[in-house]
Amino acid sequence: MAKAFKYGLKGITGYLEPSERDLLRSLFDDVISMLEPEERANQDPLAALVGLDAEAREPSDRALKRLLPNVMKDDDEASLEFRRYTERSLRENKIGALRAAALGLDKDELVLAPADARHWSTALNDVRLVLAERLDIRDDADAEHVHRMQDWSQAEDVEGYLALVYNFTTWLQESLVQAMLASLEA
Amino acid sequence: MTLSVALGPDTQESTQTGTASSTDVLTAPDIPWNLVIWNDPVNLMSYVSYVFRSYFGYSEAKANKLMLEVHKKGRSIVAHGSKEQVEQHAVAMHGYGLWATVEKASGGPGSGSGGTGSGRGKGKRG
Repeated sequence: MAKAFKYGLKGITGYLEPSERDLLRSLFDDVISMLEPEERANQDPLAALVGLDAEAREPSDRALKRLLPNVMKDDDEASLEFRRYTERSLRENKIGALRAAALGLDKDELVLAPADARHWSTALNDVRLVLAERLDIRDDADAEHVHRMQDWSQAEDVEGYLALVYNFTTWLQESLVQAMLASLEA
Repeated sequence: MTLSVALGPDTQESTQTGTASSTDVLTAPDIPWNLVIWNDPVNLMSYVSYVFRSYFGYSEAKANKLMLEVHKKGRSIVAHGSKEQVEQHAVAMHGYGLWATVEKASGGPGSGSGGTGSGRGKGKRG
């Protein structure tokens, strides 16, 4: 059973069972593969190098759209223009944090330096945003409904399983953020 | 934008980035833009507050006030500045997974949403 992250003399420490590490690794990998930009044959390598993507489009997948939202609420054209300049590096930054968190799972001891903690908190957040879209969490009532599912013996279908995974990552992120807030006070 | 700008190489430095750019905001002559954070049922209140504190360098009280405004009113203006500045903040917020948009400041009622400042942080610099 995982232990909550806490802030102490060694920094932020946590404990995860091997099965929990495997679960998180696969969740991080799933979100990484969602975020990886598709390779295009006719892509300008220099443009790619500086992060430009003239072909960038607003994602059709809702979860991906939540990870890479429009920058303006009521101006799709300006949002698209902005996306062409920024989306590639945003994807790469998110992938970087997810990879760093996944790598951290390979170590025996979970001791997070400040940079590790930031990578973990954003990685867990992105995982939760994706799971929440798959679970159709649209408002606080939906979230509360999912939150009530705590018993692993109840997980009879995919949705039930996803709900429990969501609750586990929520609990883990909350304990991490509390430890990070404690470290701000120190 | 690099990882270090979007996510902050460490709390101290990202605080300085936020503080530095918002200091510029105060003297910027151009039309102000707002950075808006929208409520969603997923992001943890503690996390949103943490992001406001570590990225913008806001005090605990100010970060919590803005976070609660997002939670209760559905949105909050958490910073303003030039278009470029708030766009940069928006990308950083997207990096954290917060739902952020930019909009032209209307100057009318409600645009200031009481006490949401121009991004003056805790003043950790110098």
